[in-house]
Amino acid sequence: MKVLLILLIISFSLTSSFSQKKDPDKILEDVKKTFNEVKDYVVDIDIKVDVDFLKVPDSKAKIYYKQPNKVHLESESFALLPKEGLDFSPLGLLEEKYTAIYEKEDTVDGNKTAVIKVIPLEDESNVVLTTLWIDEAKHIIRRVESTPKIGGTFSIELKYDKSGTKYPLPASMLFTFKVDKMELPKGISGEYNEKESKSKDKKRSTTGKVSVTYSNYKVNNGIPDSVFEEKKK
Amino acid sequence: MIKIINIELYKIFKKWRTYIGFIAIAVLVPIIQVAMLIEGEQSLDFMTRNLQQSFIFVGNLLNGYLISYLILNALTIHIPFLVALVAGDLLAGEATAGTYRLLITRPVSRFKLVTSKFFAGIIYTNLLVLWLAILSLGLGIIIFSVGELIVIKTSTVIIFARGDVFWRFILAYGFAALSMSVVASLAFLFSALVENAIGPIVSTMAVIIVFVIISAIEINIFEAIQPYLFTSYMASWRLFFDDPIDFAEIAKSCLILAGHVLFFFGLAAYIFKRKDILT
Repeated sequence: MKVLLILLIISFSLTSSFSQKKDPDKILEDVKKTFNEVKDYVVDIDIKVDVDFLKVPDSKAKIYYKQPNKVHLESESFALLPKEGLDFSPLGLLEEKYTAIYEKEDTVDGNKTAVIKVIPLEDESNVVLTTLWIDEAKHIIRRVESTPKIGGTFSIELKYDKSGTKYPLPASMLFTFKVDKMELPKGISGEYNEKESKSKDKKRSTTGKVSVTYSNYKVNNGIPDSVFEEKKK
Repeated sequence: MIKIINIELYKIFKKWRTYIGFIAIAVLVPIIQVAMLIEGEQSLDFMTRNLQQSFIFVGNLLNGYLISYLILNALTIHIPFLVALVAGDLLAGEATAGTYRLLITRPVSRFKLVTSKFFAGIIYTNLLVLWLAILSLGLGIIIFSVGELIVIKTSTVIIFARGDVFWRFILAYGFAALSMSVVASLAFLFSALVENAIGPIVSTMAVIIVFVIISAIEINIFEAIQPYLFTSYMASWRLFFDDPIDFAEIAKSCLILAGHVLFFFGLAAYIFKRKDILT
């Protein structure tokens, strides 16, 4: 694994060494600084889930966040989010040891961004590779593509217009991911005498989308740790 | 006619075996609910394990609706026995008691008599399903409160908003009542054939068990037979817990089941009308 990682780093270094003009660590440091302004926040969210095998009504919830990586989801009704989509802050990722490689310039929604690949160096890290599209003017992340050790690659697109806050927090997020289709034994599903799904689509995995709209941010008002402990009950 | 049905209902509810079904449901439903109160979280955790691998979710999924759904799933397979216990006794019971001849000497036509007995049997069946609905939904909501309903199928998971569930249960229980009416009609038909109530009860259960097994096994030869077995349509109440609901399939199932009710009753009435009453 380590040999593979080193080879990966060398290959990235070779391909990008000629075009590398910007310091990726500096760009990431600026982003960290910007996100560090947000010590905690509470935000109302509207969730829309679009996954082939999962039919969920649109829901409303509240997200509590506290640095560095405490997150709590709360809702009066049922609410569901992909695990990786709960926290969009880069602080968790950038707290670990990593190697950053500047790849190129790109445009996201008309905004000029620097594309930076981040390879975590710690064995315990859950992520193999993360690519960040960073708006250098505002020091915010506009797109993330990540490959975790377990599960498929996912991408997050963040939009910041009309977020109603001066902090670098998004107004909406589109989370796109690949997920394995579920196959439950009939004993659990209770479908003893129902026929198999008429669907001819036998692909093992499917692409899902979850869109989240954020509103009513309350930033740096202080959140007691008990809010997050409650979640672990 | 209503007077005769009332008399038949009085006769049904005069027998203690009539209450076996109500008592069985009254005992079983709270037992399941208490068990779910103690271990429901673990069961739900097991049911949603696949989902938990990719998603984080919050909300009250262990609620009265889920418990009622699980109970309805389990009991619709076993309630036919409780239905047959009474419906199989409606005509044959008169023979066993030696009251057949006395009964048909009354100034009521045989058709009216058999029809009123049949309606009384259907009313009992519907009351049994209503009792199940009241206990499982009512008690479930009192103990577990309401919430979103999670329905886990072999390849899909559907979560219904809490405001989108109750009407599905009403229709599902209505459909379950129709399914059980088919069982009652079949037991009634067998009851018209013999002079002893045990035979119709056992025969009805034997037919249901054989048909349910054939309906459940996915072998080509059985799959060819399945559309002709009424048991294949008895679980169609589950279609109300689908999104979108296949109303055409539900209507087809309703027509087939209602057709069976009419056929079994018609045959029972024909047999009873031509029957030599010797007891």
